[in-house]
Amino acid sequence: MDLLIQLTLNGLFNGAHFALLAMGFALIFGTTGVVHFAYGPVYAVGAYAIWALAALVGLPFWLAVLLGIAFTAALGVGCYLFIYRPFEISGSPPFVVLVASLGLFIVMKNLIGIVFGTGVKTVDSVAYDVHFVGNAFFTTVQLGQVAAALLVGCGIALFLRASRYGKAIRAMADNREMATVIGIDTTRLSILVFALGSAVSAVAGALVLLRDGLNPNMGFGAVFVAFVAVIVGGVGSLRGAVIAAFLLAFVQSLGMWQIPTEWQNTIVFVVLFGFLLARPSGIVRRA
Amino acid sequence: MEYLAHILVMVCLYGILATSFNLLIGFGGIFALAHATFYASGAYAAGILGTKLGIGFPLTLLAGVVVTAGLGLLVAFPAMRVGSHYLVVITLALQAITIDVLMNSKPLTGGPDGIAGIPPVSLFGTALTSPVTFLPLAAVMAALCCAVAWRLGASPFGRSLRAMRENEAAAQAVGKNLVRMKLVVFAMSAGLASVAGTLIAHYIAFVNPESFTIEETILILAMVILGGMGNLWGSLAGAAILVLLPEGLKFVHVPGDIADMVRQVIYGVVLIVILRLRPEGLFPETVFRTPTGAARSSVPANGPLSSAVERAGGTPGEVVVSATSLSKHFGGIQAVKDLTIDLKRGEIVGLIGPNGAGKTTAFNLLSGFLRPTGGTILYRGRDVTTLKPHEVVAAGLARSFQDLKLFTKLTVVENILVSLPAQPGDRPLDVYVRPGLVRRADRENVARALEIASFVGLLAKADETAANLSYAEEKLLVIARLLATGADVLLLDEPLSGLDTVTVERICGVIRDLARANKAVCIIEHNLEVIRGVCDEIVFIDEGRVLTKGPPDTLMRDRELAERYFG
Repeated sequence: MDLLIQLTLNGLFNGAHFALLAMGFALIFGTTGVVHFAYGPVYAVGAYAIWALAALVGLPFWLAVLLGIAFTAALGVGCYLFIYRPFEISGSPPFVVLVASLGLFIVMKNLIGIVFGTGVKTVDSVAYDVHFVGNAFFTTVQLGQVAAALLVGCGIALFLRASRYGKAIRAMADNREMATVIGIDTTRLSILVFALGSAVSAVAGALVLLRDGLNPNMGFGAVFVAFVAVIVGGVGSLRGAVIAAFLLAFVQSLGMWQIPTEWQNTIVFVVLFGFLLARPSGIVRRA
Repeated sequence: MEYLAHILVMVCLYGILATSFNLLIGFGGIFALAHATFYASGAYAAGILGTKLGIGFPLTLLAGVVVTAGLGLLVAFPAMRVGSHYLVVITLALQAITIDVLMNSKPLTGGPDGIAGIPPVSLFGTALTSPVTFLPLAAVMAALCCAVAWRLGASPFGRSLRAMRENEAAAQAVGKNLVRMKLVVFAMSAGLASVAGTLIAHYIAFVNPESFTIEETILILAMVILGGMGNLWGSLAGAAILVLLPEGLKFVHVPGDIADMVRQVIYGVVLIVILRLRPEGLFPETVFRTPTGAARSSVPANGPLSSAVERAGGTPGEVVVSATSLSKHFGGIQAVKDLTIDLKRGEIVGLIGPNGAGKTTAFNLLSGFLRPTGGTILYRGRDVTTLKPHEVVAAGLARSFQDLKLFTKLTVVENILVSLPAQPGDRPLDVYVRPGLVRRADRENVARALEIASFVGLLAKADETAANLSYAEEKLLVIARLLATGADVLLLDEPLSGLDTVTVERICGVIRDLARANKAVCIIEHNLEVIRGVCDEIVFIDEGRVLTKGPPDTLMRDRELAERYFG
């Protein structure tokens, strides 16, 4: 029983983490159509930046996080402006952009290793509590993940629904050509979603830094989970991506009840595969 | 010397990997990013068999190829259900699972430590333990693999693969069985990749999961892109360049633990730079085009109908296709309901009606692209209702598309060539075991394709890429492709829209010629002048139903029809 509670809690907290990653990726992929593999390493670089500011420079953690988020947003925009946009301008087919993003992926991932080394990086300046439910436990950081996912999720939903930019983003996600025709500046919106999406990933990165620490390989798992969540949730649906992120986390976590932890990726794959075969359009179908 | 030999061995191995990957993505246009998985499969097959069962080289190679080709077939199945982004995600997932399996199946794979002490290859009583002794074997195997890949790529099957890459629907519409083609190319690509795996396992006597990560797939991808997609020589060059390039690092004293990461960075940068500066790669695919050469000069320009189109059998006026009460709904939308239509030999039927009436849906039903929710389609008495598109074409019913769907990167003559029926060169087995038959048949097919090109007036453009044609020429090529299928029932979706009067006349002439050759023809058209001039019967459909049918002159006097159609 305790184990079940623990696994459910883990599913919840991991789900919040996955949801943050998936929302950021969904914003970028859903709006611009760029399969942004480098989303993973961008998120990792952002987390390393926060670590560097907090542990090396010695800034207060909250300030490091704020600066780190801004930096990650800028990095995401940089990826768009210097790597993807030139391909868009020259009218390259989508797979060329995809391959370019893979190239960017290995460049950034290995740069992290070269600059920071391959060891695990942690921050010990932030103290947090451990809470118990029976014998199951969780930490304040994990609560923070849920709170962050909630806040960010509501914030983005509100932004997309109510603001002028948000409406324009939804229009562009729906039909890019039409959006251009009615005078929406798609370049500006692309910059905006790359900034927003990357910033969201940095929030996830800051919390994961406190929870698990960082390593140069963390980007692949992140972009993989985010991508799968977006596909399983239904491309173009933020809500679907969040639901799918929690679904993945719960399946993964409850799967551990019976299956050894090392098979996490395989579990994710089975969920993905089942969904693609049974319901190729994802959880939330678009009209 | 040993160092140089080692580099050359690596060039050979990566040459095999890049060439086999190119078959899949460059020829087949299938973006399955799991090549390192196939590579790993070959390597671990050799490792496990070699250390656990004491099985030696030629057998490990064979086992690796068989197992990995089977693995390729497994991956092919999801690849057929989903396309583009989904396929990328699935194969990436497979890549991740590969590592999971290698890391966690410790009793078999040794986990993170891998398998050490794999016995070396022994040939003629000597163990090939040093790079210098191993190099000849690697070179021979690389040459062999490249020959196998080259043979496939340059064959009519390779041409069909490139057509499939350009447009899947059109490839089906000219009778290609995409399922079979994808299975074959996956199995071949995977099997060849496993050869490199087996060799590396015996060569360095050690395998571990780290060598088969997503980075490895990206590296092989970079080699393919650098060399040029669809050009197998290019892949060899790409492999050589990317193996040699990082060797320069040896001279600038980068610490060992960082050197590997620096190499990856170089690969990534090369990939992005080549995509920016020369996305088609160093060597474009032109060398794989089908030469028309001498055959071309023997074909007269504007050739006669008789040389391009075989007269269909049967008596004129006989009903060939008879569709009864066809219906199709998508969710709640009823696109076609109760559509009944007969097509007769030697007659031209015009399908008219307002936009959204269900004309193209009717074509999709007849040609097998959509399965009707009700009703039956008989072709000469045979029920073809549930056949797949390529089976419908083989039966004798072919269609064209309103949006043309040409194989843009293929030449004019290749567009026609792929459409010719029953080619021995489309059977992968014959490509290898009966090369003479394949060569002879293809020579005849080239001549035939040229005659068809000549008939529609495209002989002068025979070697031009379809992408460089004018709109009128594109429309003519669509007709030529349709003729090439040899079908005796032809469905033409708006063959005349957007054309100048000269070309309209020309195509109208071709359509009349087809009817004269005893074919059953059905065209969708909006231009009533043309309809009146060409068609023997008009079928007017609206809201998915046949409203009325009859000879053009009678129908055009109909007041109600005039009101409905012309508002």
